[in-house]
Amino acid sequence: MPGKSPWKMAVGATAIALLAAGCGSGGSDDSAASSNTAIIGIGEPQHLIPSNTTESNGAEVLSSLFYPLVDFDDKNNPTEVAAESITADATNKVWTVKLKSGFTFHNGEPVIADNYIDAWNYAAYGPNGQGGSYFFTRIAGFDDLQSEDPDGEEGPQKAPEPKAKKLTGLKKVDDTTFTVSLSAPFASFKSLLGYTVFYPLPKAAFSSDGVIADGFEDSIIGNGPFKLKGKWEHDAQIVVEKVTDFKGQIPKVDGITWKIYQDDQAQYADLVAGNLDVQTTIPIESLASASADLGDRFQKSPNSVFQFVGFPTFLKEYQNVDVRKAISMAINRQEITDQIFLGSQTPATSFVSPVVAGYRENTCGANCEYNPTEAKKLYTAAKGPAEIKITYNVDGGHKAWVDATCNQIKASLGVNCTGQGEQKFADLLTKVEKKENVGLIRLGWIMDYPLMENYLGPLYGTGGSSNYYGYSNTAFDALVKEGSEAATPEEAIAKWQAAEDILAKDMPVIPLRVGQNVFGFSEKVTNVTVDLFQKVDIYAIEVVS
Amino acid sequence: MFRYIVRRLLQMVLTFFGATFVVFALTFANQDDPLQALAGERPITESQRLALTERYHLDEPFLTQYWYYMKGLLTGDLGTSLTGQKIGDMLVNAWPVTMRLALIAIVLAVVISVTAGVYSAIRRGGAFDNITLFLTLVLLAMPIVVLAPMAQLLFGIQLGWFPPTATRDASLYALFLPALVLATLAIATELRVTRTSVVENLRADYVRTARAKGLTGRRVIWVHVLRNSLIPVVTLIGVDLGGLMSGAIVTEKIFNIPGVGFNIARAISTEDGPLVVGFVSILVIIFLVVNLVVDLLYAALDPRIRYE
Amino acid sequence: MSDPTSITAVEAPGAGVPAPTGPVKTDKPRSLAGDAWNDLRKRPVFWISIVLVAVILLMAAWPTLFTSIDPRACTLANQHKGPSGSAYFGYDFQGCDVYAKTIYGAQNSIIVGALSTLLSGVIGLVFGLAAGYYGGWLDAVLSRGIDIMLGIPFLLGAIVLSSRLAADPNSDGVLAVTMTLGLLTWTSAARVMRSAVISSKNQDYVAAGRMLGATPARLMLRHILPNSIASFIVILTILLGTNIASEATLSFLGVGLKGDAISWGISISEASRYARVAPGPLVYPSLFLAATVLAFIMLGDAIRDAFDPKLR
Repeated sequence: MPGKSPWKMAVGATAIALLAAGCGSGGSDDSAASSNTAIIGIGEPQHLIPSNTTESNGAEVLSSLFYPLVDFDDKNNPTEVAAESITADATNKVWTVKLKSGFTFHNGEPVIADNYIDAWNYAAYGPNGQGGSYFFTRIAGFDDLQSEDPDGEEGPQKAPEPKAKKLTGLKKVDDTTFTVSLSAPFASFKSLLGYTVFYPLPKAAFSSDGVIADGFEDSIIGNGPFKLKGKWEHDAQIVVEKVTDFKGQIPKVDGITWKIYQDDQAQYADLVAGNLDVQTTIPIESLASASADLGDRFQKSPNSVFQFVGFPTFLKEYQNVDVRKAISMAINRQEITDQIFLGSQTPATSFVSPVVAGYRENTCGANCEYNPTEAKKLYTAAKGPAEIKITYNVDGGHKAWVDATCNQIKASLGVNCTGQGEQKFADLLTKVEKKENVGLIRLGWIMDYPLMENYLGPLYGTGGSSNYYGYSNTAFDALVKEGSEAATPEEAIAKWQAAEDILAKDMPVIPLRVGQNVFGFSEKVTNVTVDLFQKVDIYAIEVVS
Repeated sequence: MFRYIVRRLLQMVLTFFGATFVVFALTFANQDDPLQALAGERPITESQRLALTERYHLDEPFLTQYWYYMKGLLTGDLGTSLTGQKIGDMLVNAWPVTMRLALIAIVLAVVISVTAGVYSAIRRGGAFDNITLFLTLVLLAMPIVVLAPMAQLLFGIQLGWFPPTATRDASLYALFLPALVLATLAIATELRVTRTSVVENLRADYVRTARAKGLTGRRVIWVHVLRNSLIPVVTLIGVDLGGLMSGAIVTEKIFNIPGVGFNIARAISTEDGPLVVGFVSILVIIFLVVNLVVDLLYAALDPRIRYE
Repeated sequence: MSDPTSITAVEAPGAGVPAPTGPVKTDKPRSLAGDAWNDLRKRPVFWISIVLVAVILLMAAWPTLFTSIDPRACTLANQHKGPSGSAYFGYDFQGCDVYAKTIYGAQNSIIVGALSTLLSGVIGLVFGLAAGYYGGWLDAVLSRGIDIMLGIPFLLGAIVLSSRLAADPNSDGVLAVTMTLGLLTWTSAARVMRSAVISSKNQDYVAAGRMLGATPARLMLRHILPNSIASFIVILTILLGTNIASEATLSFLGVGLKGDAISWGISISEASRYARVAPGPLVYPSLFLAATVLAFIMLGDAIRDAFDPKLR
């Protein structure tokens, strides 16, 4: 019958399709061969070159591959780890770093002063385009390593080479000692050195002077307790295994599989199903069921996240400080942290995170307390705008609390309030740069190093790297600078606290919430802790035998 | 027939360049600040911006950028993404799993929709017809952003029948659940079209003739009617296969499959022109080949259709 | 047919063995529309779906007829409270009244769904008809154009189109979303139309019409179209459903409806995150959406059956 042949074709095609679909499977379990390993969930890192790694996924992986100069103790004071000592001269301008001897990179090279100097010069050199280059601005000679934008009327042109290739502030004394000269005194420089971008790089990283070898990033070599097994399997996983006879602190697990997820919910599903050992950030949507799913394996710990909304200074309707105070008082922070975040965040009452030394509660005072009647009175008297907008980026899961905040503002002030979603944060910034009517803008900050200055400078200083709303107060700037140059950390904190008091008067932003780590782990592991930087403590984690 | 195929292949080359041009233009139109998009909420220093702008030709006019891209493509260099990965490697990593996912989804969709479509057409207005109609509607009414997490929650976590996520080298079994979710949209359309087409053909004279000749009902339906009803369905399968690959964005994200859809979504959100075009070019080639095959299948299914 | 790029169907697949079928034109010259109306009047399905569609349209046009509650007056204190006498469907995550939101959501969902489907229907019809009827280079150009369209990822097209179309920051984005969906979803309709036209254009009655000197326009509209429209209508009714759902996906990505716009799609995708805790806010708008699509599909089926001479 002629009717048969298409059916045979169809059956054949189905069989081929299924065969094709089925092949390539198998062999997926070999990574978990050793039982004393933990699987920790992360997102795909953007980079693994330390000086280009400024997001938490890459930083977490690097924390297992590298051994930092300093780490932080329980009180967030820096303590030497890979360094023997880090000392300043009397002016706090020249710092001497002495390394512990005996440490090697995973390829056997000894760790020497040159490894730090080379890595830092590479990081600071403008044309290398490293994301962490701004950390090196304090080191003398940084400006000479940057080139200026030559693009003029005639369109794009090739940028000229910078004046220098090496930081003048970095000097080798001997194989285990080098000095760092700063362009201005900074008493807390030691705290900075705990950050990812200050890791050393082996000679093998460079194909020639100042050029990182092709493919080094995918098979990166560090000086830490774990080394890379195989290569970075993009979008899938990064497997690391213990270094034998490591000279520093010895971790308790034999290896870690950093499993890469595109989505927090997928990660949570794997955690509940037992395919994953640790998730550092459980998504809000799953918090309600997390206690039931995980029991006491669902835990919380403080972190440095600070959430707020800012008022762009180009918007005239918000220039009256009373309008800003009124909006702040119209928001019931407690209700939002309870109902929307289910207690995973807490109301913010100050302009810095509680995790840094020098933090005081309630510096915002009555301005951050929910008081709808007073808010309405103040708002009407100050003739606040009849329509309030809050612009946010939809890819960060902010819609729920922005909508709730708007509903509270509507109820308290009797004006209309709408949340305006932008696709991503970059779109929000574009609108701010074009001075469009964005209303209030949603912002957040995670600290790079545990100092008050890391909140005050970037967020509120004139021209601060994340001061997108354009706040500027010379008295404030002066106090922050004096604090940074103070002789002792105590004096520094006093100056910074005085600066914070100015913020409470000016209300350039509305502090909303401070974050917490909400993490969960499987029955396979124990002793799981997550630090201020949202990283799992890889030295403490253990596998239950 | 041979001339027809040659001619279609020549058209393909033109279409390919047209498609890459359109996609490149769209990405370019969507490009506001790719460096900031990549950095997320972190600040970018002026010198970093300068270095990356130069490295990726971001300040050049559109046609110059397209020229750089095409020059690279014709010499076999697909370029690098804004994160510095080789796009060629990314393609090799992402394509196999998406192909397998789409093939399983197509097979599931066709098997389910043709079987159910024929049965509802035979018992038109009966209970089976009405129930399938209602079920397909409920599936249609659910955006995939709802359907996929629901399926994962129910079958992956609560019932535990399938693993809740799949990896790049996942087995057939691990890909079954995401493939089923992916297939649902195609099922709704294919089922309705099969049903309509079978209903029409059931009333055709040749069915009466075949019945009069004494053929069994089953034979008439599954051989004669189905064969004549499959033409519109085959058209849809051709369209769907491509749709399933590029449309897998949400499904791949939710089931954590690092395939094409996920990569395209990421490339779009980082405004990474070469990366978008790199993935879409291959998608377009597959479209063109599949549609050629579909047109040739017409002839196989219907001997009255021939190509001159 | 000398052009190898077009498919030559000797006969329509539906016609089977050459038999004196063709259009069943009886001695009395009645219009197709008149016939269809006579047929439609007798179908209960037609009346049921008409009533459903009418109610939905009424809801979209005058939501205040159905509820006096402000869907935007939400308070967190009411979060996920169950149904009660004052809130028939309970409250959602933000403490908004689900019943009021569902009623008010009809407007945007219907506008976006119906208009975008109309737009893609018109484009698909014109392109499919032209490609199928004329064949040759026109078919080649249009078909490859469709291939290019299909190759563009929906997400990319949607983001670019809707962000360019919604240039006015004060608009609610309804027009932009409608245009975006219409411009991106016509391809399958065009392809189905094209293949249906190809198979019906060489039928005897078309040849007869051509010999009698009918213009191409008349041939296409009066003879080929009614005989090719069955699968086309099915595709469109399904498209209506998926377009309403797609609006949710666009809003989810931040390129859909703006600000505090209310629609079923937005309600569904927001409620789905909390479905484990509170399924109500997900179920009700989904049911309304399903009922709407059902009503349009039944209406489409009935009209299609009435207009298709072969099915009489």
